[in-house]
Amino acid sequence: MIRHLFTLMWNRRRANALLIVEILLAFVVLFAVGTIGVDLWANYRQPLGFEYKQAWQANIAFGSQPRAERFATLQQVLARLRGLPGVQGVAVSAANTPFSFNDSQSSVDETDAKGKVVRSANTVNIFNVGPELREVLNLQVTAGRWFESGDVTPGVHGPIVIDERLREVFFPSSAQAIGKLLSLDKKQWRVVGVVQAYRADGELQTPVPALMQPVFAADTAFLPDALLLRVAPGSGAALEKRLTDEIRRIGPTWSATVRTLPAMHASQVRTLLTKPVLLGLMSIFLLLNVALGLFGVLWLNINQRRAELGVRRALGAPAGAISRQVVGEILVLTTFGLGLGLLVAVQFPLLGAFEIKAGVYLTAMALAAVGLYVLAAVCAFYPGQLAAGIRPAVALREE
Amino acid sequence: MQTVPNSTPVIRLANIEKVYQTRTVETVALSQVNLTINRGEFVSVMGPSGCGKSTLLSLMGLLDEPSSGTIEIDGRPVTSYSDKELAGLRNHKIGFVFQSYHLINDLSVIDNVEMPLLYRAGIGGGERRKRALDALDKVGLSARTRHFPAQLSGGQRQRVAIARALAGAPEIILADEPTGNLDSVMGEEIMELLLGLNREQGTTLVMVTHDEQQALKTQRLVRFFDGRQVA
Repeated sequence: MIRHLFTLMWNRRRANALLIVEILLAFVVLFAVGTIGVDLWANYRQPLGFEYKQAWQANIAFGSQPRAERFATLQQVLARLRGLPGVQGVAVSAANTPFSFNDSQSSVDETDAKGKVVRSANTVNIFNVGPELREVLNLQVTAGRWFESGDVTPGVHGPIVIDERLREVFFPSSAQAIGKLLSLDKKQWRVVGVVQAYRADGELQTPVPALMQPVFAADTAFLPDALLLRVAPGSGAALEKRLTDEIRRIGPTWSATVRTLPAMHASQVRTLLTKPVLLGLMSIFLLLNVALGLFGVLWLNINQRRAELGVRRALGAPAGAISRQVVGEILVLTTFGLGLGLLVAVQFPLLGAFEIKAGVYLTAMALAAVGLYVLAAVCAFYPGQLAAGIRPAVALREE
Repeated sequence: MQTVPNSTPVIRLANIEKVYQTRTVETVALSQVNLTINRGEFVSVMGPSGCGKSTLLSLMGLLDEPSSGTIEIDGRPVTSYSDKELAGLRNHKIGFVFQSYHLINDLSVIDNVEMPLLYRAGIGGGERRKRALDALDKVGLSARTRHFPAQLSGGQRQRVAIARALAGAPEIILADEPTGNLDSVMGEEIMELLLGLNREQGTTLVMVTHDEQQALKTQRLVRFFDGRQVA
């Protein structure tokens, strides 16, 4: 019967050309939305590499205070905040804090003894952070160690900590990364530790390899954009007010905006999901139109083929076989449309388009194909029932 | 080999009445029909247009249900069959030949002939093809298997329709004006084919026709007028 259906539909391919094109377009829509959805889901499932539930962020603006005075004020602020009840840790940071939508990216190279580049990672998130960050965000070291106060030694390569994602680019295992030199901004840095993949961009964004450079208390050249704090569970508005008040008290020209990382996370998720959700809604509307189109065409088709269906009944087809045939025919047409769609879709993983993994594209293809078959089967179900109800004597008499 | 009809009833219609009802009109298509078709018999049914011949054939072919009365196939009332069993009976026991052929234009000759076997369990693709080729060979169309109905003459199309009925090796063939759309030469050819089936294979045939000459070639002639059997 399957061969019969393929033969019949192949012979009717011209008559069904528009239907096949409609199915092809529906596949393209499903594939596009599916790719975005699967990519988001694949990103979402990967760990963030840090804990943010008890973390807050204070953005600092120095106001009119002369630059030379800012460092000293900063040290006072840090000392004061660390002493506040409810504050369990404070780390300085550049502006690219978790969920902030700020990035600082650069390329990182591995060079041989002669300084020749062996391997490169073109896009790496660079984080300038205080050594307290490990406690503030509970970062997990998987090899080597975190920064230590003795790390800054003149004449020695500066220490860096890389995350597992960057480690995978350069080294086969975490242990093999320790002590190796990586080149950043034309200087060489020694890898002292590896942490879990660190995804400050949030779980919905494509993970990017990360590298951390320490900012020690003695580093007067670096003025942070933000402070990251670990606070005691249950801390709320009172502590938030206390923080801003203390910062203003110590640095009268300073201002600070305190936000909790969970609130920043929620805001980021809302922002990042807006486009996919709108796209999803539009695609649902489009698919609804496709479904109505399929349904209408099938309904018309059944009415035009009453005699043929009557003959099939006369030749011994039970009602169920007629119903299955109608559904089977649309599934065969779906296969034709899908075949064309897959020819287009398979180009994306082959070309590595949009830097999305091939697995994401393949999963989206599979989901789009299944979705399309389900859509076609659902649309054909009722016309199939109508076809099964055709009384052969009536249909043949009409002819 | 020549077969002669025996007295075993294969189809029996008892007190059959068929009424078509619309909102405003009630049309009695058949009334008080009592007819028995024996195994191996070739019966022709004649009568003016609208006298109920085709309705009779639809009832015999289990395509429709009578308003009242009993239809028995091989001695068993068909009311006891489910839809699936009725479909099975139509598929195994009965072959149809229609005046307007009712071939599927988008299928080749061989695919059209194979069709009854598609609905028969346990027959593979190879066996289906073999039986269809045998049937086409019997009607002299084995050279046209890849043609489509639109590429054939009326007589050839009717022969394809007969081959389709034969492919399932049915005991009974119900032919509704099989020569009605054909010229006399072609009509004669088809008639010979049907007579040959009855004679050589013992197929039971019931043929509706307007042609007295052809009807007289069959073993029994049944006449209808205004839904009643008059002879």
